[in-house]
Amino acid sequence: MVNSILINKKIPKIYLISLFLILLILPGILSLGITPGRTTFNYETGMTEKEVDFSVINNEHKNMQVMLMIQGELNSSITLYESMVEFSPSEESKQFKYKFKVPVGMDKMPGLHTAEIIALEVPKAGSSGTYVGATVAVVSQVYFYVPYPGKYVDADLNVLDAETNGTATFILPLINRGKVGIGEARAIIDLYTSLNEKIGSINTDYLPIEPGARTELTGKWDVNYPSGNYLAKVTVLYDGESRSFEKQFAVGSQALNIESILVNNFRLGEIAKLQILVDNKWNQELKNVFANLLVYNNENQVMADIKSAAENIPALERKELIAYWDTIGVQTGEYNGKLMVRYGEKSADKNLLLKVSEDNLDIVGVGYAIRPQGNSKGTSLSTILIIIIVLMIIINLSWFVFFRRMMAKKKGK
Amino acid sequence: MKKHLIVVLLQGLFLFLIAGLIYYFYPTTNASVDGNWVNFNSINAKVIMISENPDFSNSRYLDLTQRKNISLNLNPGTYYWKSDNGIIEGLQNELVVVSEVGMKIDKTSNQSDLVNLGNVKINVTKTKEGAIVGQVILSPEQYEQIEDSGNYVGRQDGK
Repeated sequence: MVNSILINKKIPKIYLISLFLILLILPGILSLGITPGRTTFNYETGMTEKEVDFSVINNEHKNMQVMLMIQGELNSSITLYESMVEFSPSEESKQFKYKFKVPVGMDKMPGLHTAEIIALEVPKAGSSGTYVGATVAVVSQVYFYVPYPGKYVDADLNVLDAETNGTATFILPLINRGKVGIGEARAIIDLYTSLNEKIGSINTDYLPIEPGARTELTGKWDVNYPSGNYLAKVTVLYDGESRSFEKQFAVGSQALNIESILVNNFRLGEIAKLQILVDNKWNQELKNVFANLLVYNNENQVMADIKSAAENIPALERKELIAYWDTIGVQTGEYNGKLMVRYGEKSADKNLLLKVSEDNLDIVGVGYAIRPQGNSKGTSLSTILIIIIVLMIIINLSWFVFFRRMMAKKKGK
Repeated sequence: MKKHLIVVLLQGLFLFLIAGLIYYFYPTTNASVDGNWVNFNSINAKVIMISENPDFSNSRYLDLTQRKNISLNLNPGTYYWKSDNGIIEGLQNELVVVSEVGMKIDKTSNQSDLVNLGNVKINVTKTKEGAIVGQVILSPEQYEQIEDSGNYVGRQDGK
């Protein structure tokens, strides 16, 4: 009784309510992470075993027990050093190791062989001694590629900037999974409508591929067709051999475009008004569109997470989204940022650089640029080395010839 | 013999001079990876070439003419890069943005949400008594309402 009175006197009610809420919420979060999500090995002659590091992440900084398991085709080739681990709230992640032993005779089994390291959060049992509810487990995959005899190509297709009246870029990542190098790989991409009507054909560039190496072929297509789904039938041709596959792609799938970001009357330390102009290129109204700007400090931690109010943008119209950034405590300098305009489950993203001064906020788009004009390509070190070797040979040969002549003259005298 | 020595010494001096010039003009660039962020820092590079392919096919260029460092948010994977200042093209370097598979089940009194906390698209399978009874693919930060039962296993999606 005395104790309870003391508690009531010492701890304000608001703290007790907060504690109760925390206790109510905490058991409701199951969270786990693992890194890397995948480790890939390519078989090489003489390869017997590899030791690999991986980390389990305690995202929520809580007490938890994690069980580590192995499954998959190569499970008997993997040895884990630990199977049950404990985390305390202060431990954000823990590093572990596993040993992968290459099975005997694997070189005669070309293709992909896999295994999985599973980290399972062991749920805490309730008062009845049992646990009822969902559990989470995360996987670190082991991908082991054994090369095919001869030449073998693994291919995929990515379509970028497929917008009506624009130029779409078709990128074909190719990996040579064979033991022999490829002298020339190229591809023909035939394009079809959803009614299977052929509308065009693209020839990519051509490149060599070393065994086990990756390269990318590129092709361009002027899009004179309306938004919708299309089919690409791809034939990869490499040194007299070929491989075909199909992939569907969409034209006009990027419904929203970030046109500009304006900041007027900026004063550091005050609330800045950001006007983000977005263009709805879709022929339907987009509902609940909002902008989310993340500003990162020099340690790449989020120092500001700014959201605009949600707006509906009518079909084929532009609208301004307004977001406010409280700049109290922000120092002058350059900050990286990421602007995401979200609509439904999709998002239009833009990497930014925010140049903050006392009375100006300059926001510039950052990203990949084409090689700047006027910057000629430098000479590679191998070229410099070849030039030096040639020069040294010339100098030494000249000296040798000169010396021989000099000696002959001396003898003649 | 003395003449030979002079020629050898002159050649040594020439090589020393060339090495000095390469050292002076070399586009020294440091790259650091922190999560998905890659920071390039250089004093004298004008351009950084970055590609997912060791042959630099389909590579992209980062302009450093106006600044000394640049940070980029990259998807997990292996990248190859080299810097250039118009005089010397630097050697090829490699960096890895490590993938992270992370999941969270947020439970409230009336619903449970499965959230992708990692930096890659994940393929989540739901198993009950050893059998797969459901599947969902979640992009980073995406969430899906789920039933509060069964075992949810998340693994990196795609090849």
